[in-house]
Amino acid sequence: MRFFKETNFQFIKFSKSAISISAVFLLISIVSIFFIRGFNLGIDFTGGTLVQVQFEKAITTGEIRDALASVNLQNSIIQKSTATNEFMIRVAQDSDNEDVPGLISQALSTMDDNSFEIRRTEKVGPKIGQELRRNTVYAVIFALLVIGVYISIRFQFRFAIGAVIALIHDVLFTLGIFSLAQLEISLSTIAAFLTIVGYSLNDTIVLYDRVRENLKIMRFEPIEPIINKSINETLSRTIITSLTTFFVVFVLVFATGEVRIFAIAMMIGVIIGTYSSIYVAGPVVIAWQHKFAAKKK
Amino acid sequence: MFKKTNIRFIIIGVALLLAGYSLYWTIAYSTFSDEQVEAKRADGSLEKFEERIIRLGLDLQGGMHVVLELNIPKLVETLASNKTPQFDALLERSIQESKATDEDFFTVFSRNMEAEDFKLVRHFNDRGYKNADIIKSLEDEARDAMQRALQIIRNRVDQFGVSEPTIQRAGQNRIIVELAGVKDIEHARSLIQSTALLEFTLLKDPQVTQSFIASVDNYLKTGRREIIEEEPADEDTIVALKESKDKAVSVHELLGITEADIDLEDEQEDTSLVVDAELYSDKPFTSLLRNIGGSIGVPERNVYTVKKILNDPDVQKLMPYDSKFLWSAKPERLTTAAGKTENYYMLYHLEREAGIQGKYITKATATIGGAESKAAGQPIVNISMNNEGAKIFSRLTGSNIGKFLAIVLDEKVYMAPRISVKIPNGSAYIEGLESMEDAKNIAIVLRAGALPAPVDIIEERTIGPSLGRDSINTSAKVGLIGFVLVIIFMAFYYKGAGLLADLAVVLNFVFVMAILATLGATLTLPGIAGLILTIGIAVDANVLIFERIREELEKGKTVRAAIDAGYSRAFRTILDANVTTMLTALILMQFGTGPVKGFGVTLFWGILCSMFTAIFVTRTIFNYRTDRKILKTLSI
Repeated sequence: MRFFKETNFQFIKFSKSAISISAVFLLISIVSIFFIRGFNLGIDFTGGTLVQVQFEKAITTGEIRDALASVNLQNSIIQKSTATNEFMIRVAQDSDNEDVPGLISQALSTMDDNSFEIRRTEKVGPKIGQELRRNTVYAVIFALLVIGVYISIRFQFRFAIGAVIALIHDVLFTLGIFSLAQLEISLSTIAAFLTIVGYSLNDTIVLYDRVRENLKIMRFEPIEPIINKSINETLSRTIITSLTTFFVVFVLVFATGEVRIFAIAMMIGVIIGTYSSIYVAGPVVIAWQHKFAAKKK
Repeated sequence: MFKKTNIRFIIIGVALLLAGYSLYWTIAYSTFSDEQVEAKRADGSLEKFEERIIRLGLDLQGGMHVVLELNIPKLVETLASNKTPQFDALLERSIQESKATDEDFFTVFSRNMEAEDFKLVRHFNDRGYKNADIIKSLEDEARDAMQRALQIIRNRVDQFGVSEPTIQRAGQNRIIVELAGVKDIEHARSLIQSTALLEFTLLKDPQVTQSFIASVDNYLKTGRREIIEEEPADEDTIVALKESKDKAVSVHELLGITEADIDLEDEQEDTSLVVDAELYSDKPFTSLLRNIGGSIGVPERNVYTVKKILNDPDVQKLMPYDSKFLWSAKPERLTTAAGKTENYYMLYHLEREAGIQGKYITKATATIGGAESKAAGQPIVNISMNNEGAKIFSRLTGSNIGKFLAIVLDEKVYMAPRISVKIPNGSAYIEGLESMEDAKNIAIVLRAGALPAPVDIIEERTIGPSLGRDSINTSAKVGLIGFVLVIIFMAFYYKGAGLLADLAVVLNFVFVMAILATLGATLTLPGIAGLILTIGIAVDANVLIFERIREELEKGKTVRAAIDAGYSRAFRTILDANVTTMLTALILMQFGTGPVKGFGVTLFWGILCSMFTAIFVTRTIFNYRTDRKILKTLSI
């Protein structure tokens, strides 16, 4: 069975319009991230307390809020989760030593007709939150740097530029969707972002590897047809791999909690990673080539 | 050629045997019933298993993860003697600055000191003369304190009896404690966090205390705040304080308590203060207090107000600088003349510096007080000190006969008996405990030793066992579905070769698990996500190879040549792609805390194993088939 056989799509021909579309989306992402919605940062980064509680009988957020008023926590964010009668109670920044989970449990036990179980509590001090935020930014920058260096060694510098731009494109795009949809960014989402980085890079490297090979064979051809041919030759593999990964990640969307958000991030990443390796990684090398060739003349 | 394929099979066989051995422990362990586990624990053979099995992370089996930070400034404060307001202010400012700028406390502290030309030697003798020497000595002390804190917390947790606790140091002054399957979170937290700082401290001369109380009375009456009006008398007596001129507010508002706070303290009772109606206009502070057998008692409902008054900066100025106020550990239930029972907390006025500290304690046991003692039938903790401690204790008791000596644990007074004789042998007991449970806990923390400085909980995560079980179930189900989908797809798309890839994926899973078991790694929920992702990556390697073989076959190459070319060409691509993903995984392992780290670990090893299974193992089987006869067609 084969989905693609000897394809010869003119990918590069459409690269200008693809780049414009990308540019528009990236602009929307940037505007949303920096000017309009910002991020919905989880307590891992903001500091605070999260209590996941499951009640025996049905209950409304209002009733929970009333109960929390007895310990002065009525301003907490109370969200219903996907599980039955389960709620997430979030309390913003608190001092390091206050036992907020204890207070919440104390407040909820005043509701004598409904028993409950505290399934999870997380308390992150403001200092830790700040540290995690900083470490994460370092990790992403460090990852991009290491990858750039590795590709410069294995390929050429212009490929490294193409790969890193494609990666920034992917991460920014995914962050943009997270900002627009106000999906929560936690530690596992960051892990997902870094996996997207690795994944999208996989596709890009497979393409570059083919370009490297074809550069030797088609020594006197201009760069465009070489890249176009390489994209076509690797297309079958790219689609199959993305598809199998997509299966796996798509199934993970039906898991619960953090894994679910992780899977959503990955799913977006797989789609965008596939797209960017064709329409960002390739064209950047072409653009770089043109600039470089023009200088030479 | 034939021989080479055999060697390949031998390598695969050996790898499988090693993996099988490594996984044996986990599989065997999972078949044990609870009784078998207990039996094995008793005869000591369980340890062999526990070292070799794949452990489940806290997110999968439930438990508690706490990050503690040793409070270094507090340590410095404890070590300082002859404290002055100037020293305290300098310390406080350094704490705030180092918090804000995230700079090392000692760096900020010594900079501030230089700026004010402050001489540390006044507060720290035996630590050198120059500021720099003293700071260096304090830094050494802090390092040493961290080591001790780690050891002490380890001892406490060991005595608490949780299976396989993890206690490790993180960074300069942090400790990570992980307790799997612990049910009583509250109890565990207090055991870890309690400083267990035991002190024997002399009470201030009653006259000094009296004159202080009088000055507070005077201050409240004539100072910034004054009592101006009385609420209607239908609820006992409510006293409202007034902020200088016009704004009339209730006591609660003024002192910053809301109704909710009071509901919390005691729900049934009204929110009024209990004051002696005759006294309050003349001696407002005294009216909040009661004389109970010569000691100061405070009705439970007044405690908050009294604390608030004592913490008032202006009131603090009135307080003798070498003294402090502490509260009793538990309330006493007393019946007033009117027949009303009320809970009273005792308020003690103590010397600021302890007469002797608990570090000399050699033994602490919880028991019931004997018939001849004052605490007959009550839970008590017996303590004995070493020779040095006994000497100091004997000097302390000998020269202060007739005075009161408070036994203070973690800033709470447990008892304050009058010293009637010199105690030469360094033995004492603590009474005034809530319950036997309480006594046992105190004995544990005293035996394990006091923490050199308090620890703050800066991060705490707890997961209930039911959530962990749910997580295992869903992730197992989800993982299996993804796995099956991929396997079916590959067999369908690449036929025979696809089945080979499927075999590689299964083997990959076995090898990763074996490596995790060998490393003694912990499997977390994100770790499982990493494993599932590894499936995708392992398949990708085979897709790359198979696509290449198909291409080569189309170019008209023979099966054998196409396989050779496919593998050698694809190998470079796979290597480049995998190395970059592994670099990302390594970064995750490096920077990640708990769960994210787990993801990095499984991803890293998963990719490494996939190189072996997807390239080496599948190639071996291709080779085996082409070695035996020349294939005309290939099922791919």
